[in-house]
Amino acid sequence: MKIHLWLLFLKMTLKILLGELMKTIKKDKIAKLLDFLADKYELFAPTSKDGLVVSFERIEEGKQAKLRFYNSNEAPKKLFFPQSETLFSYSKGGRETVPEPKTEQQRIIFGLKPCDTKSLSLLDKVFDTTDFKDPYYTQKRGNTIIFTLACNRPQSSCFCTALGLGPFLKEGADVFVVDLDDKYLFEPITQTGEDLLKEIPGLEEAAEKDISYAKELAGGAEAKITTKIQLDSLKEKLDEIFNESVWDEIHQKCLGCGVCTYLCPTCHCFDIVDEQVNDKGKRIRIWDSCMYPAFTLEASGHNPKPTGKERMRQRIMHKFNYFVETYDEIACVGCGRCLRNCPACMDITKVIEQINNLK
Amino acid sequence: MMDLQTKLREEAKRLLEEKKVDVVIGYEDGSMALRTTPCFVKDPRDVERLVWNALCENNLAKYLIGRTNKAAVIAKGCDVRSIVVLINEKQLEKENIIIIGMPCAGIIDRKKIYAYLGGADVKQANIENGIINVKGDGFEEKLNVHDFLHDSCLACRYRNPVFCDILVGEEIPEVEPKDEYGKIDQLEEKSSKERWQYFSKELSKCVRCYACRQACPLCYCKTCFVDQSFPTWFGKSTDISDTFSFHLVRALHMTGRCVDCGACVRACPNNIDLRMLTKKIEKDIKELFDSEAGLSIGENTPLASFSEDDPQDFIG
Amino acid sequence: MDKKAGNWEPKILAFLCSWCSYAGADLAGVSRLQYPTNIRIIKVPCSGRINPVFIVKALQVGWDGVLVSGCHPGDCHYLSGNYYARRRFTILNRLLEYAGIEQGRVHFAWISAGEGKKFAKTVGEVTEVIEKLGPATRLVKAELGNGKKK
Repeated sequence: MKIHLWLLFLKMTLKILLGELMKTIKKDKIAKLLDFLADKYELFAPTSKDGLVVSFERIEEGKQAKLRFYNSNEAPKKLFFPQSETLFSYSKGGRETVPEPKTEQQRIIFGLKPCDTKSLSLLDKVFDTTDFKDPYYTQKRGNTIIFTLACNRPQSSCFCTALGLGPFLKEGADVFVVDLDDKYLFEPITQTGEDLLKEIPGLEEAAEKDISYAKELAGGAEAKITTKIQLDSLKEKLDEIFNESVWDEIHQKCLGCGVCTYLCPTCHCFDIVDEQVNDKGKRIRIWDSCMYPAFTLEASGHNPKPTGKERMRQRIMHKFNYFVETYDEIACVGCGRCLRNCPACMDITKVIEQINNLK
Repeated sequence: MMDLQTKLREEAKRLLEEKKVDVVIGYEDGSMALRTTPCFVKDPRDVERLVWNALCENNLAKYLIGRTNKAAVIAKGCDVRSIVVLINEKQLEKENIIIIGMPCAGIIDRKKIYAYLGGADVKQANIENGIINVKGDGFEEKLNVHDFLHDSCLACRYRNPVFCDILVGEEIPEVEPKDEYGKIDQLEEKSSKERWQYFSKELSKCVRCYACRQACPLCYCKTCFVDQSFPTWFGKSTDISDTFSFHLVRALHMTGRCVDCGACVRACPNNIDLRMLTKKIEKDIKELFDSEAGLSIGENTPLASFSEDDPQDFIG
Repeated sequence: MDKKAGNWEPKILAFLCSWCSYAGADLAGVSRLQYPTNIRIIKVPCSGRINPVFIVKALQVGWDGVLVSGCHPGDCHYLSGNYYARRRFTILNRLLEYAGIEQGRVHFAWISAGEGKKFAKTVGEVTEVIEKLGPATRLVKAELGNGKKK
């Protein structure tokens, strides 16, 4: 079995190296391509009502997609891990439960940026493990094909490269799409991606110059990101400074508003509530945030994270220490949403810098 | 404003050197263009961090609540009024606060600048003499600060602090607001159904993050009604009925207390126009009870007082 | 509660202050005055006890109308409870209407202990208004209470 997979991998790599599998399509035909996809799949793409704020929504027609954008305001995690999700309904006070119907519908998300695509791999570590598979998440994940759109123009708030990722990162994509100004380049990354590309009509073979232009764009995009974070001994540093007074300073301006956690593509804390009338009800999972005071409030009244200091420390530790400890990855993809949207302009990169600079 | 910035730093330095306060809460440059960020200066040598310009948007009164040390806080007209309300509601001890009042002609709404630039990424910005110079890849524009102010600034009646311990600079002339209740009036013209649809649509954007509540200096309840579980008033999911109810009740709780500083709207990640609710209530209390929030120490909020002649034409 | 069949009856929740309005309702009963049976009463010690949350919640769970009644201003058993309530209700009434809740869903009245007739009359009037408005739908939470579905 393993040998078979290896051969497949080698075959695909070879084909990609030879440029055999890469396809292109002229920009004026992309709407039609999306129409084609929307016919067969539930298609999600970046859309905008006002031309400014972008959001990944289901579209029926290709022309609804806005493919030239920095990034969506909300993280696409909402497509796999929605803000409110009914887990099951119940009656007779809970003695009978009715599971939520599953949808078998195949989905495509077109235009996910590499940072957000990577965030899904990080969420997988939590929701799709060997010991436990969250059925609500894994079902959607298994039914979804990802077309990652390379980021030609990172924003000034982006810092994916500082985390070892990048605007042209292909990890997690089924098909990797690059905007080549007058056309789009499609590169299959997985077998699913390759099979899907075969179905799409109107694709042309990628020319040598297309592929080299894509490489040029990659270099240009990476160069645009100037924020650097020292990651080398960050985890160890965090281990040491848990009780230091630096946390008193760091949290001061934080309002505990939770916007960072809600917009973060990797944040995944949730609460579960029952909503019941008489004896019928629903169990609903909703987003929660470690930044809220009541998040760790225990029934006894004790709160292990009583002030903003402990909660801010928890957030930084979770992303850059605990997640690394458990999953060997940093739970941050450098998308910059927390920076852009924090009402108090908290900058996680500056916080890390401050921590690194501690003696 | 540069002049005011220097004066501000001098005052802050003096207060810290004379140990009148343990900390000066003000603004410093943010790590991104078009941003400032709250800063807490404890050492008199650090006062150079403090800035004062048309990007100083945060309501710093929020950082006074629950504070155990003595603090000086830089406060614009609206911020001062929220401090006044907090003092009147016994949430702050006046003797532990020194209010550094800043006359304010309005703060820039960076989202309006982004909209004007078609969503372009501003990499650098600086303000001089009422002009903001914004730069990015392939563009540079000089914009008039007064064309890009927050909606709450366009409705402002109290540009000068109504109360402060130190006034930095001279008072500026008060102006008749450009647009105080225009949008409210417009919405009131519409039918009941249209108004319902407007709010349902606007509030459907809400993801129940409660940033509005957290940013508001006047939301200080230890347990917010929406977090109560005995009884559970409203559900916590994004169900539109629950969400609508949350915003209605929060607006009601702000009656006579909201000073329209705009912190809620700025904090909202989905740009919900919450002021469409709070401003309506503000309009009503002015009309019905001749009351405005946070104008003087010792006054009662309108719902904590009454007159025997209060209107009651709607009561059978 | 099947509105399609045309036999829908409004369900109206009334908050009555125990010293005046509730006593007035009692008097209506003792006097054998007829009034619509669509009303369900919650007794509160004073109209000042009424938190606007109660009214918003009532509309959410599906009550077609809400009646709030207390002592006449100046007659409050607790001296000033109804004065505070009056201000609260003024703001609430205006905000609800502004937000798109139909005018006529929420009613307010001053009914004293001796006004049994007024109570009966008020209930009749309120019921008539709500009947014309139809079942409440706007703030009603889907699949909640009274078997109502959106």
